Amino acid sequence: MLTREQALALVLRRLAALGRELRKPALEQADAQTRLFGEAAALDSIGLVTLIADLEEDIRVATGKTVTLADEKAMSRLTSPFRRVDLLAEYVAEVTNR
Amino acid sequence: MSLLSRITSYSAKPALAGAWGVVTYGELAGMIAAARQSLAQLKLDRPTAFGLVGEHGPASAAWLLALAEAGHFVAPLSGNVAEHPAKLALINAQWIVVAEAKAAKLLPRVDEPSAHPLFAQLRAAGAAGLVLFSSGTSGTPKAMVHDFGKLLASYDARHESDLPLLALLGFDHIGGLNTLFNALASGALLVVPPSRAPADVATAIARHRVAILPASPTFLNLLLAADVLADLASLRVITYGTEPMPESLLHRLKAALPRVRFIQTFGTSETGISRTESPDAGSTFLRFEDPALEWKVVDDELWLRSRTQIAGYLNASNERFTADGWFRTGDRVEKGPHGTLRILGRLGESINVGGEKLMPAEVESVVLTVPGVTDCRVRGETHPLTGQTVAVDVVSFTSDQEALRAAIRIACRERLARHKIPTRVTFVPSVSGERMKKVR
Repeated sequence: MLTREQALALVLRRLAALGRELRKPALEQADAQTRLFGEAAALDSIGLVTLIADLEEDIRVATGKTVTLADEKAMSRLTSPFRRVDLLAEYVAEVTNR
Repeated sequence: MSLLSRITSYSAKPALAGAWGVVTYGELAGMIAAARQSLAQLKLDRPTAFGLVGEHGPASAAWLLALAEAGHFVAPLSGNVAEHPAKLALINAQWIVVAEAKAAKLLPRVDEPSAHPLFAQLRAAGAAGLVLFSSGTSGTPKAMVHDFGKLLASYDARHESDLPLLALLGFDHIGGLNTLFNALASGALLVVPPSRAPADVATAIARHRVAILPASPTFLNLLLAADVLADLASLRVITYGTEPMPESLLHRLKAALPRVRFIQTFGTSETGISRTESPDAGSTFLRFEDPALEWKVVDDELWLRSRTQIAGYLNASNERFTADGWFRTGDRVEKGPHGTLRILGRLGESINVGGEKLMPAEVESVVLTVPGVTDCRVRGETHPLTGQTVAVDVVSFTSDQEALRAAIRIACRERLARHKIPTRVTFVPSVSGERMKKVR
């Protein structure tokens, strides 16, 4: 179980680590409004898939739950949870509370 | 000269070393004669199917050759009888030979003689049959039937040798049997280690001054990691096969064992093991040097046609063979200069990331170079964003998995195209099977 705040912290921490790995300092400065994917976004498709895989592992470590963030259900939502940091954090909280 | 007369002629030379001590060729010839006599006492009036259960050893080798000589059908099975009810039923085995070290016992098994047309065909030709099973990763194991006499005759031209070989691949495996027949045909000593653990293998190599080690790249990687180089001083030749060799691993092996020649072998359970050469020692390309084998590449797939290929399958269609006898190996290959080839992996194993393809082996080769990685397996995972994505299972003793995960991706990013970078890095206690999941 993660609150929205905890989920947001988790996403930002992971994004910062990915930024160091990819040598993209902008990711270390990310905030709730940072666009993740799509036009003028911080990540390409491989970067986003990497972020999601690492987040799934973070969630497993934090909650003991094995979750899948990217599935057909997530992809078919009207508002993609992968568009912006706050949307992803909200989605992470929702998935871990199922 | 036939294999049996060779064995008799090598009389005083050591033949098989293992838990039983050392058995000479003369003693082995005696055990073959004893098996021949036991067979005669069964008063079988027709070629009959036998399961031969055991590991490499004098009794299993003696029985295998006695059954071949008498024109019977035999399936070598490793482990114990209770593990193989389905395989024994599939060949309609009427007798089971349980071989352990120097002893063997015969157990009757109640079954009707097989009416399979393949057995009938061999029977009509007066030929013995060797039945090998595929590993069955894709469902039921496939039973492949070789004309045993033809297979054994392919060893008739071997020169005599005094270089001891080690038996690493099993008694039920085309590669393991190839090592056995090579040793016996050339009068060399075959050393059977107590287990396949790198430390046990290294001890056996040191003790019997083994010169030739046939192994898989996966095993050689473990051998390097086990820190047993001091035991390997007698090695002169390492032959490797059964899966793609990561170039990075070959370089590490050559640096660690500078006096050893590395030779790539290639074979399939369907076509037998073929003689090959490498254009140079550091190359993962190979060239077939086998007069009994023809090859060609069709749509990136290797096709083989060999004199020692199987007569057919007991429980599968011959769809992988063309009407004119070509075997579609399912291996994806790349052609190099001067008639050379490189094995890239299994066709079905290619990973498709957003329309761009890659083979697991090329990513594994890079991941293995990262300090802290003991072994790895790359696989494709379905992903709603990119169709498939590259996942890697990593064996490591590192205390900082987070840092190693980043180091793996950084190494891949420096040396591979973007779509080949593993998105998921999972730490696992061990990786099972070989990189190329297929029996060779």
